[in-house]
Amino acid sequence: MPLNIVVCLKQIPNPDLQFQIAPDGKDIKRDALNYKLNGADEYALEEAVRLKEKSGGRVVALTAGPKRTEQMLREALAKGADEVIRIAFDEAAAYDVGKVSRLLAAAIRTVPHDLVLTGVQSDDLVNSATGGLVAGLLGLPHASVVTRVEVKGNGLEVACELEGGLQRLYSIALPAVLTIQFGANTPRYAPLPAIMKAARQPIKELSPTALGFASWDAVPLPYTFAVRELSPPAAKGHAEMITGTVDEQAKKLAQFLRDKGFGRR
Amino acid sequence: MEAIAVGRELGSRSGGHARVALFGHDVRVLADVLAGTGTEVLLADDPALAEYTPDGYGQAARAVVESANPRLILVAHTSQGYDLAPALAGAMDLPLVTNCLALRFDGERLIATRRLLNEKVQAEVEIASSRPIVATVRPGSVKPAGPSAGGTVSVMPVRIDPSKARTRFLSIERPQVQDIDIAGADIIVSAGRGIQKKENLPLIEEFARALGGVVGASRPLTDMDWLPKTRQVGQSGKTVRPKLYVACGISGAMQHVAGMKDASLIVAINTDPSAPIFEVAHVGIVADVLKLLPATLKELKS
Ligand SMILES: Cc1cc2nc3c(=O)[nH]c(=O)nc-3n(C[C@H](O)[C@H](O)[C@@H](O)COP(=O)(O)OP(=O)(O)OC[C@H]3O[C@@H](n4cnc5c(N)ncnc54)[C@H](O)[C@@H]3O)c2cc1C
Ligand SMILES: Cc1cc2nc3c(=O)[nH]c(=O)nc-3n(C[C@H](O)[C@H](O)[C@H](O)COP(=O)(O)OP(=O)(O)OC[C@H]3O[C@@H](n4cnc5c(N)ncnc54)[C@H](O)[C@@H]3O)c2cc1C
Repeated sequence: MPLNIVVCLKQIPNPDLQFQIAPDGKDIKRDALNYKLNGADEYALEEAVRLKEKSGGRVVALTAGPKRTEQMLREALAKGADEVIRIAFDEAAAYDVGKVSRLLAAAIRTVPHDLVLTGVQSDDLVNSATGGLVAGLLGLPHASVVTRVEVKGNGLEVACELEGGLQRLYSIALPAVLTIQFGANTPRYAPLPAIMKAARQPIKELSPTALGFASWDAVPLPYTFAVRELSPPAAKGHAEMITGTVDEQAKKLAQFLRDKGFGRR
Repeated sequence: MEAIAVGRELGSRSGGHARVALFGHDVRVLADVLAGTGTEVLLADDPALAEYTPDGYGQAARAVVESANPRLILVAHTSQGYDLAPALAGAMDLPLVTNCLALRFDGERLIATRRLLNEKVQAEVEIASSRPIVATVRPGSVKPAGPSAGGTVSVMPVRIDPSKARTRFLSIERPQVQDIDIAGADIIVSAGRGIQKKENLPLIEEFARALGGVVGASRPLTDMDWLPKTRQVGQSGKTVRPKLYVACGISGAMQHVAGMKDASLIVAINTDPSAPIFEVAHVGIVADVLKLLPATLKELKS
């Protein structure tokens, strides 16, 4: 059974960096950040491409984000997406998961979709909300933290991760939304010829009017949302730090561990 | 129990009260336990709710929200909670804020405290709405609700229409790997993505041996099959409480910390001074673990 798959990809600032708060306290400083594809989304994309390779069909990669996300979409093309769409929502910090999800849902309505995949969470904002919201908005069944997907008859069988290493298995009817967990597969590298080809492929852009909104500010929402303030976290506690050169640190650490009764003498 | 604590507190502060919705089948005993927190428990019992499914529990949750029309709906930010809450918000067109460390009302506005970017930035956001707000509460953020008098259980009639169930429960799968149980170890040396290469694992093993401990890991390492799944510490792995936990190149994501924060002594080694692991560690060292461990081994042996 060929599947029309939409996979939602998000570009995030590399979370290994250190971050500074912008002077107005409403966002982080964004001038010197480098961006990458969200961790879980790599697995979502790979799962989409594998399902297509097995069952036939098409993969559409979708993002809501500024121009810089084109780089990520080309990567998706090189890894096997057939079409890429950018919702031209240029807010650098995309403040509201509810709003972004409504944009994604509106865009998904414009393309055939048997299956919608998202990552389990974004590593920058960790809401774990987009997939479920999109499912609710589209009225589709869903399952979260999915580690395995198999096509069975007219539907899917999925394994969902619970706490403590347990998995819950469901059958789920199509069309459906799944949030894909880290480690669900081994993402591929893009072959060089595909990268070259992707550089020339078109990127479809969706404006507010294409989605039926007068502007991005006119997206109907049942609430108002605002960032009050960002701050460095008020640490609950902080480790006592061992400083010095590596050799000094090693000496102090070894001494400390011995004093506490660890390590053979 | 933590979500109940948040609900009780917000309820009493705003002149309202918290009620607890419980979904399941034959769970009267559990309902009584929850009523022990002094709250009114709304029990929705149906055979179709015996096992969690997004559809079944979603139907039940919508029914409760419609009849109770609360100002705030609290759900734990667990894999089941963030399966249920966003879909509920989407289906009923409700505002949503997830993974909250703290919640309070400022007049009509709900103020949520969250963590972003690998715990490195804290955010306060506000939501105002005339509709019920859905919020998920990060586990471990508050003390679980203690006992209190005056609780009741009332049965809420719900009918789950099985013909509308598009998700069906099949089974629960348990991990089956033969390996040591790190949960029983007194000393655990855990490796994270910061060890860079699989070839560096023997260094961690040697360090663990020198301390008489075993090797644990963060999730990316077991995902990449560098170590078996049984060695994974954290929310979706093992919860450990050793006497000594050494975190080598582990950033300290909440899902990892959930599994090791109760260790008696936590030593963290990380090149990034802003890594959140230093918030839970007792002793921290900003250093390249690949240089520090060999040097420390030398010291331990001398
Ligand atoms: C400073 C700041 C504070 C914020 N605070 C809050 C807050 O408290 N509450 C709140 O609700 N929101 C908040 N947001 C915004 C909001 O969380 C995100 O911008 C929203 O776009 C999606 O949430 P997420 O990325 O965490 O999604 P998640 O639900 O964690 O992401 C899961 C998956 O959804 C998909 N996805 C997410 N975003 C996109 C996208 N733009 N395009 C394509 N796919 C996507 C990806 O597949 C991703 O893996 C804040 C934003 C900023 C900048
Ligand atoms: C539903 C769900 C469940 C999850 N369950 C778990 C779980 O059970 N357990 C778990 O661990 N994770 C879990 N995760 C993943 C978790 O969110 C993090 O992604 C993971 O813990 C990160 O692992 P890490 O710290 O090894 O890697 P990273 O976050 O990449 O951190 C690597 C760290 O190493 C440091 N570093 C780099 N080089 C060096 C060096 N040479 N010397 C010293 N330090 C160095 C870096 O500064 C960085 O802080 C789960 C995620 C989800 C969504």
